Amino acid sequence: MRAVVKGRVGIFHLQGFLDGNNAPSFLTIDDIKATEALNIDMLLVSLKKVIFFNKNGLDVFVKLFTHIRTLKHISVGFCDYDHTKFKAINTFYAGEINFSLFKSEKIAELFVSSNKSDPKTILLYNEDPSQRSAMAIELFDYGHNPVIAQSFAEFETKKKTPELYYAIIEDTLLGYFGQKVATRVTGNAVIYTISNFLDAEIGNNFNIAYHTNSLNVGFRLFIFDAFKVVSMNIHALNFFTKLASSAAEYNAAICFVGMTFEKTPETFKNDLEDAGIMFFDTMDEILKNKELLQELGGGGGTTIKQQRILNKTLINELPHFIDATVSTLNMMTNAQAIKNSVSIQPLTIANPADQFASSIGFYGDLDGLIILIFPKTIAKKACELLIGEGEITDEEILDSLAEFVNIIGGRAKVLLSENKKRLDITLPRTYSDMDTLMEIARHKKGVQVDLSFNGEKFIFFLTR
Amino acid sequence: MITQEDVVLYIKNIPPTPGVVRQALTFAREGELIKAAKCAQEDPALRLYLKTLVNRPIYGFKNEVSDVGQIFGILGVAATQQTLYNYLLSLLTPKKWELFPLTNHQFYDLQASLSKEWENILIHLHIKDKEVYSAISLIPATIIVCDALFASKKKEVEQLRSVKALDYNTILKRLSGYDLFDLAAEIGKMWEMSDKTIALIRSASGTHQGLVGEQKMLAQWIHLLLFYLFSQSTYVSAGLNEFIDFQIDFVHDIYDSFSQVVPSI
Repeated sequence: MRAVVKGRVGIFHLQGFLDGNNAPSFLTIDDIKATEALNIDMLLVSLKKVIFFNKNGLDVFVKLFTHIRTLKHISVGFCDYDHTKFKAINTFYAGEINFSLFKSEKIAELFVSSNKSDPKTILLYNEDPSQRSAMAIELFDYGHNPVIAQSFAEFETKKKTPELYYAIIEDTLLGYFGQKVATRVTGNAVIYTISNFLDAEIGNNFNIAYHTNSLNVGFRLFIFDAFKVVSMNIHALNFFTKLASSAAEYNAAICFVGMTFEKTPETFKNDLEDAGIMFFDTMDEILKNKELLQELGGGGGTTIKQQRILNKTLINELPHFIDATVSTLNMMTNAQAIKNSVSIQPLTIANPADQFASSIGFYGDLDGLIILIFPKTIAKKACELLIGEGEITDEEILDSLAEFVNIIGGRAKVLLSENKKRLDITLPRTYSDMDTLMEIARHKKGVQVDLSFNGEKFIFFLTR
Repeated sequence: MITQEDVVLYIKNIPPTPGVVRQALTFAREGELIKAAKCAQEDPALRLYLKTLVNRPIYGFKNEVSDVGQIFGILGVAATQQTLYNYLLSLLTPKKWELFPLTNHQFYDLQASLSKEWENILIHLHIKDKEVYSAISLIPATIIVCDALFASKKKEVEQLRSVKALDYNTILKRLSGYDLFDLAAEIGKMWEMSDKTIALIRSASGTHQGLVGEQKMLAQWIHLLLFYLFSQSTYVSAGLNEFIDFQIDFVHDIYDSFSQVVPSI
């Protein structure tokens, strides 16, 4: 069995009965190797469709958790269970739980980095005060607004108005949590929360793959929330100066907010400034100053001086990217997409209203960005196989568009590997309005392919 | 990927019941086991199938049973009818399984286990209806149909499943409007199974709304029995645990009774 990857979370979806006899059959050696190779921040086993389990069955996955956590320093655990299953797991592993338990997949996703920028209000209760605090801190670091109930009675009262909260967290437990630096997105800025004493470990804890992904999908402003940093040593200094140099290649800006230099040599600040890193006292100084935000890149791409241009290598591989797109659409809809025109130009969207878009970056032997722009109706049709028919919200369509573009990225990766070209793909990003998309794409020249599907037009755009 | 036309073509190509088996089935339905055995005796492949089936460990016979009359006598009317359907289904099994890493030996074991456990369940439920008894034999048709339709689409399904936990049944339903249980029911129609049996096969997917009474209860038991067997190591390794969506809420209220009837895995 292979884990399904959504954003930065990999999930095994088990079904039926789970005990010591059958559990090893779910995980072959190839499955374990495939899991090791996943680029994820959290690995979970969903118990939603498991009607019976015992400790021997769970142990097989707990061993996998230990192995993966040691290898990749990511969060691991079980999710999607009811109160009875939660109690059973707690009884099986009383006092020795070194993995996390998330009542639902939705709750688990709140504790990992994503490309979504809307902060959520979350009601939270755990009878253990240290768990309560740990969860609140993590949620806060990921950009959410945790509302912490201090007593069970208060929790029960607040629970009576569920419409006030995006999620209500109970029967959840943070085990040895991933050591990764918490990441959140606000508008076009990526915010990393760093804390305590920064040393060589920052290299392991900082998710460089996510950072590279973010650069590749168009983020240009990276803010380190450093309010909780006590000090840093020379190794951390080297890490940040290197990060600043690599960001410069993309004309990206790196800022530190709230960093004090009481216990850190003042010369470090000078070195960091020389590398291009800027310092601010509060988040609002950046996020509420539109002009500054624009200048730093968080408001769009207007300040990009060295435009990354299309090259011959990328254009040579264009047919593979188009094939991947068209064949994915055919596969998902059983209908043919027709190519109408191809031209090299800045992205041009004739009717920006009622359009959805998604993008995915790729890097490796080639680097670039695929952008797809659909009328809402086509987006919904393209995603019906993933979400089914019926009443579908815009958020569900956007989530599925991310999955859709992920499949395209995966297919392009396979097609190019046949030509011995190795690619990695980034997290997909979706856009519900074209203004946000144009902020990152306005100044990019690329190959625009106008396609039609069931008589409606959609756009494929390949750029760097 | 798979169109409605592909599915219609598949239904068109379902082979009709061979004459000997049709006659044996007619006698079995009337309770004429001696006449049914005489008919069955004429088909060497059916003879071998019956012998191999009843001598599987799950039937628990100490000495080999080889005479067709004796086999039908041991099985009784309802199980004979069911076994003849199992044989029909075995005629549809592919020479080589493409989608699922399954051997025919394992498939026949699954048929035998389903039949035996279903018998235990019906005894527990005090149900003696022969049509209900037979319904279980068509359920593994879902696996055969799935292998036939998706064998050439393995890579595409893998790509889909890398981003979303979709089962084959849901994929087929969303693409063609038919699900695997509908197709198993079409096979049942072709083989002149009763309307009651066909309705029960359709409802065993656990996704049909508005089921009531005995039909709902039997559909729940079949659905849970399927996942009980699909959770066994052999079938997990063959990928059968993931091929349809387990509707856990659909079976929740019979779980306690189920665990009394069927031994733990």
